[in-house]
Amino acid sequence: MAAKGLLRAEEVYHDPTRRVRELRAKGKKVIGYPCVYVPLELLAALDIVPYRICGEMREPVTEADRVLPASFCPIMRSCLDCSLKGRHDFLDGTITVHASDPQEKTARIWQSYTRLPYFHFIDMPGTTRTEALEYFASQLDGMVTTLETFSGKKLSADRLNKAIEAYNQQRLLVQSLFELTKPSPPLVSGTEIVKVIKAVMSLPVDEGNQLLNEVLEEVKARKEKPQAKRARLLLWGSTTDDAAVMSILESNANVVFAEDCAGYRPYRGKVIVATDEVMALAIHYLLEITCARTFVQSTATPTKKDYQQDLQGRYGYLKSIISDWKIDGVILLLVRYCDPFAFEVPAVKDYFASLGIPATYIEYDYTEGSLAPMRTRVEAFLETIG
Amino acid sequence: MTTGEKKRVINRVKAMYPLRAKVDESYMRSLEAIKAGKPTVWAMLNFCYGDPVLKAMDIEVVYPENYGAALAAAGVAREYLDRADAEGFPTHLCGYSRANFGYAARLMELGGQPPPEAPMGGMPKPLFLLSSVAVCDARYKWFQALGRYLDVPVWTLEAPLPGIREFQLKDCYEEMVRLSTRHLRDFIAFVEKAVGRKMDWDKLDEIANLMMEINRVSHEINELRKAKPCPMHSRDFWSAMPPALFLLGDLKESLQLYKNLYDEVAERVKNGTSAIPEEKYRLVFAELPPWHSLDLFDRLAERGWNFVIESFGYHPPPPVDLSHVSDPIERIARYSLQRMVSNYKDALEKNVVAGVDVYIYLKYVSEWKCDGAFLHPLVSCRSASTHLPHLANILMERLKVPSLIVEGDIVDLRLFNPQDALLRAEPFEEAMEHYRKVRREAGFDW
Repeated sequence: MAAKGLLRAEEVYHDPTRRVRELRAKGKKVIGYPCVYVPLELLAALDIVPYRICGEMREPVTEADRVLPASFCPIMRSCLDCSLKGRHDFLDGTITVHASDPQEKTARIWQSYTRLPYFHFIDMPGTTRTEALEYFASQLDGMVTTLETFSGKKLSADRLNKAIEAYNQQRLLVQSLFELTKPSPPLVSGTEIVKVIKAVMSLPVDEGNQLLNEVLEEVKARKEKPQAKRARLLLWGSTTDDAAVMSILESNANVVFAEDCAGYRPYRGKVIVATDEVMALAIHYLLEITCARTFVQSTATPTKKDYQQDLQGRYGYLKSIISDWKIDGVILLLVRYCDPFAFEVPAVKDYFASLGIPATYIEYDYTEGSLAPMRTRVEAFLETIG
Repeated sequence: MTTGEKKRVINRVKAMYPLRAKVDESYMRSLEAIKAGKPTVWAMLNFCYGDPVLKAMDIEVVYPENYGAALAAAGVAREYLDRADAEGFPTHLCGYSRANFGYAARLMELGGQPPPEAPMGGMPKPLFLLSSVAVCDARYKWFQALGRYLDVPVWTLEAPLPGIREFQLKDCYEEMVRLSTRHLRDFIAFVEKAVGRKMDWDKLDEIANLMMEINRVSHEINELRKAKPCPMHSRDFWSAMPPALFLLGDLKESLQLYKNLYDEVAERVKNGTSAIPEEKYRLVFAELPPWHSLDLFDRLAERGWNFVIESFGYHPPPPVDLSHVSDPIERIARYSLQRMVSNYKDALEKNVVAGVDVYIYLKYVSEWKCDGAFLHPLVSCRSASTHLPHLANILMERLKVPSLIVEGDIVDLRLFNPQDALLRAEPFEEAMEHYRKVRREAGFDW
């Protein structure tokens, strides 16, 4: 009997390429993407299976050293390294986004050293102004053009609306999963959530939704729940895609909310179609995903900027998370050389301080060797918050 | 750390000095402007996009990136870097930004008065900040983070950058122009409100044309450097570039100064005058120089290393005829985009999909006939470093030109060891000699 729920998530987490390899063997096209800014709805609507490319923390980077400098986003280095080692040989193509310098630069190098049939790079504006949004929509139109050529299919409004509906359902299911961390003790651990979300990102949308439904049902019904620990923590950062990292953070605490790109962030809100589907996707992805790479400024006044108001505009959405999830402290966890998030560190700490919430910044290099020092840092932080 | 000796070996072009002096003048003018109640703005290098607007609105502009280099060159960056560390900014962030955070913290500590120890009188408190998405996302995050110290708004200029293949898609270029044009109009409206004055459109038109003409002359000067021996060293390029790159001072005067520079370099070409005593090796430098250790180039010049071309990001766009574009905003937008898009077609034809910043160095090396590439990846800068290992690979693969990779930093001299670079010079010369033979055997003409 096939595994279901958390067991199935565990299986996919440990062998994320298995299912997409099976699908490819059956004739499906599979396209990899390393960043949550890629509108997956456009792929699904053309019957293409999206696959989230993650790094592999346990794999020493060797091949990528030939083509990337050492002082560089270790996650992107790891992703490219895996590709150069043939770990992504099941992919028909890759879509990358100008979400950060490391991704933009790696995209071009990726394209230079791998010979996949399809490659597309989405340019992304830095601001959220109207003209920027329209430019982003035009970039998505360009992506549709190349996907149609690649797939030999024409994108229909009907299929796109169905794909949008399926992904909106997925967003809702992940949001429901995080609802289960509100009680104390939480019904599901942060470590389990990392595995579930990574599994979901490795499956076609319908299978991911089925998995999420199974997990929700199982978690609500199970008798053995995670224990309440010393503190309830919010994790804020770029991407934490390895359960071992979350497990370290949860040694003596419950991470009840993961505000990162392998946590809640890609699943916030939903795509709302008013008239044009592609524009609706552009609006959602540019405005709703709270990655540090997008320049958000709350005040438009040409002569004055109020720092506290600016912090509120940039991080205000975190306030209700702090209160609703009863957060005791925040771990700001970044991989080294993640510049867009690193620039945010003093400001976001100021914001948490304004709410009376202690926060600590931990940087690691995306290797197993960084886990032990991380444990020490987390323990020290827990000591300070009592 | 420096190379120890101070002997000047590079034969500097005399017409460079008045251009270099415009940097100091611009800081002093900003300080005077603030005393006279005129607005001053902190801006980023924005590649001929926002600068003409500020110029037309008679706003004094200072450039924290340039000032970061000045702090490094003056050997006083350390104090500001330490302050940024203490403020909680991670140490791997851009050296310019960290120096600037330290400076801004100190500025506000002094009630908005420039610190007395700051070189060139320091940067006065700005009316607003002008950042740019171009080239590097660390830069606009930097100006956003300055909100911690400066209670002034930030305007972030967009800078579209599609992929080389994606650029070929229908309407891509025109969408870039549409974004840039609309965005610039909004920016002008913002500036008008900020300074309480309306744009003088005739003046903007004149400035746009002068900007293009200055850059055209600057481009022609660099073309002259293809001569053997090369008449102008990279150090002169870096010293002379700010008035064109940042539109410093009076543009008519700048244009004349660049024409003077052109004349002197042309005269050198005619007379066979070299930028160094004996040109044994011609080198390209990528990307940002170690501003704190520029005397390294004198030591390398003693060995016969002539740096003949460099730093793509600092170079003017190739000339383009935009006289048919009557709207100055659209002309500025198209000209600013020209820096990148002018290379897309060639890059695609040569199948260099790794981006213009890789393609351009293939062009530099083959047209300026370089024997080697000095690549300077920066610990604190991804945008000027990421492509360098690939660049080294592709230069060797396609042109049989070796690269010397010396890691360092633009501001933090603790991260750069010029002695190490010098120790590696001799073996690298052997490599350059070897690959000269390899290239000739392979049919290359240098």
